[in-house]
Amino acid sequence: MDGLLSQLGDYLNGNQVFTVSTLAMYWQGLVNTVQLVFIALIIGLLLSLPFAVMRSSKKAWLKWPVWAFTYLFRATPLLIQLYIAYYGFAFIHPAEGSLLSTFSNNALYPALLAFTLNTAAYTTEIFHGAIKATSRGELEAARAYGMSRSLMMRRIILPSAFRRALPTYGNEVIFMLHASAIASTVTIMDLTGAAYYVYSRFYTPFPAFIFVALLYMVLSFGIQGLFKMLERKLLVHQRPRS
Amino acid sequence: MLPAWLDFMGYGPRLFIGGLLTLEVALLSLLIGLVLGLLAASAKLSRSAFLRAIGTAYTTLIRGVPDLVLMMLLFYGGQIGVNAVTDWLYSVSGGTIDMYININAFTAGSITIGFIIGAYMAETFRGAFLAVEKGQMEAAEAYGMRPLQTFWRIRFPLMMRHALPGIGNNWLVLLKMTALVSIIGLSDMVQVADEATRANHAPFLFLIPVALGYLIIAGLSEIVFQWLTRRYNTGVLEGDE
Amino acid sequence: MSDTTPPLVVSNIHKRFGDNEVLRGLSLTASKGDVITLIGSSGSGKSTFLRCMNLLERPDKGSIQVHGEEIRFKESRRGRELADLRQVERVRARLSMVFQNFNLWSHMTLLQNVIEAPVHVLKVPKAEARERGMALLERVGLAERAQYYPSQLSGGQQQRGAIARALAMEPEVMLFDEPTSALDPELVGDVLKVMRELADEGRTMIVVTHEMSFARDVSDQVVFLHQGLIEEAGVPAQVLEQPTSPRLRQFLAPKH
Repeated sequence: MDGLLSQLGDYLNGNQVFTVSTLAMYWQGLVNTVQLVFIALIIGLLLSLPFAVMRSSKKAWLKWPVWAFTYLFRATPLLIQLYIAYYGFAFIHPAEGSLLSTFSNNALYPALLAFTLNTAAYTTEIFHGAIKATSRGELEAARAYGMSRSLMMRRIILPSAFRRALPTYGNEVIFMLHASAIASTVTIMDLTGAAYYVYSRFYTPFPAFIFVALLYMVLSFGIQGLFKMLERKLLVHQRPRS
Repeated sequence: MLPAWLDFMGYGPRLFIGGLLTLEVALLSLLIGLVLGLLAASAKLSRSAFLRAIGTAYTTLIRGVPDLVLMMLLFYGGQIGVNAVTDWLYSVSGGTIDMYININAFTAGSITIGFIIGAYMAETFRGAFLAVEKGQMEAAEAYGMRPLQTFWRIRFPLMMRHALPGIGNNWLVLLKMTALVSIIGLSDMVQVADEATRANHAPFLFLIPVALGYLIIAGLSEIVFQWLTRRYNTGVLEGDE
Repeated sequence: MSDTTPPLVVSNIHKRFGDNEVLRGLSLTASKGDVITLIGSSGSGKSTFLRCMNLLERPDKGSIQVHGEEIRFKESRRGRELADLRQVERVRARLSMVFQNFNLWSHMTLLQNVIEAPVHVLKVPKAEARERGMALLERVGLAERAQYYPSQLSGGQQQRGAIARALAMEPEVMLFDEPTSALDPELVGDVLKVMRELADEGRTMIVVTHEMSFARDVSDQVVFLHQGLIEEAGVPAQVLEQPTSPRLRQFLAPKH
């Protein structure tokens, strides 16, 4: 083990790619990626809740606008959505100091907007599917015991739909992490952006991209582990008991 | 001549050609993905622990790494890697093997997307193979079919019935993934639209039609898949399963 | 309201699904402590009739009174509708139903199932509801299963749990919709035993069932339904032992 460590030390001393400054760059990229993905996921999740309830409604004027939204955002590439948001803000030249100018001056905001709406669309469909799968008998029991529509939604439909949606939502989180790599195309120095910078500076594709691939892997499997833990906690009701 | 409303400030023809390129990348990736998917599914279902490990490593790798990073690795690293191999072949053969393989954006993009979709396809095929009843194959063997015959005449068509919906989904994922080839410099419709947008400061004029282009391709593929589903579902009663 | 007001009076109930008239004018009065069993072949409308009583099905015609309170309907373009959903919710809370397929809420433990409606519909304090819930599980023999989820229980246990859930509402009338039909034969006995005890305690119960022994031994009144009408009704000794209707005689004849 010591031999391995000293070998690694020698390697790090001898090479020009993984210096303090490039590692700091990767670190900044990691922070940016995690921040971007985390905020988009949180807001997207909050949006998807009312959207999914509307999408599952019987009223056409509630259902169809949400359907159109999820369809458009799921059927077109996220890259185009990102470009539309980015150039949309970049080319409107708002007054200095206004809220819009913060949006058009920092690519982080349009990227956040595109990612948020995209994950909201996917998550809405995930929840919608889970809501639709609610057992009819359980709904009937809720009605028979005098529950109002809203109480039924709060106590029966949503809690069981959340649990059913959990594994699929875990996939969506990993998908979003991976999809966020395109943020580097609109000047955001995320993980992939950092790797590209290191590559173009030293012309060393293998260390630059393999290192970042490993970082993404650690993040992905970390997320996967987290969701497995959550499932163990929340999906006890689906497991047999000895 | 294109009609005026398809002119798009002179970018119309390039956008159209870019659209064809998008389709080419998508179809080539689909082919690669189907082949890799079948191989990987067979590996995962095989009796050999070694093959199973390879299959698992492949699908795990794809689950862990973003598509764009793999694409960049292959595009920027691929040429160096291939050059190293051809240089080595040149030197060990004393100059008799002299070749140059060019890794361009088209090859790198299609191979990467095919490689990624292959892992998705592997899961689809694996599930579909497992869904085929054993009795069907036993019947084929009982009538004297050889293993390869049993596979292509019985097991494969039956498996396709279960795999088609999954393949359809993967195709739509793949189609959207092709947008990434614009990042490594291929002039697909996204890249043309991006360039036109920057030049004309018109954020919606080019990007929204390209988005529509994706919707149209997706819509057309829906029709193809419905036709294929009908074809492979001959003999299945409505409401069966 | 005086104590002699019957907890449930339904009269002249009609219900059609499309062209199919399932109920063609049914009336029934359940006085306090009555155990009424509804029998009939499948398609006779007995389950639909029961489901009309707590408005899970909306009757096209007829009236329903729960402890003297009349359910209000209104006429609209789409036909007859419930006028006051709040009223219906309030009334349903007083008529607990036990279902053929138990319908326990799968994401809640047995105890959570039992206290759910008392806490959130009747606004009983949680601690009190838990204490009563445990007592009820105790009496249906499931106290040690309180923390189990429905999928971890046998059908018979689930149905006894569902009965505890119904009891927790302190209902005026309990409605049983073929409570033993989905159970394996060897599990039916435990559920029937609990139901007999409830009858002995003087609970008002309306039971749709195929269990003739239950109808004979436990009920005060047996109602035989045929094609959406009451063909014959009365005390079990008379209806089951000396049936007058040929259709009822055929229904009661031993099957081969």
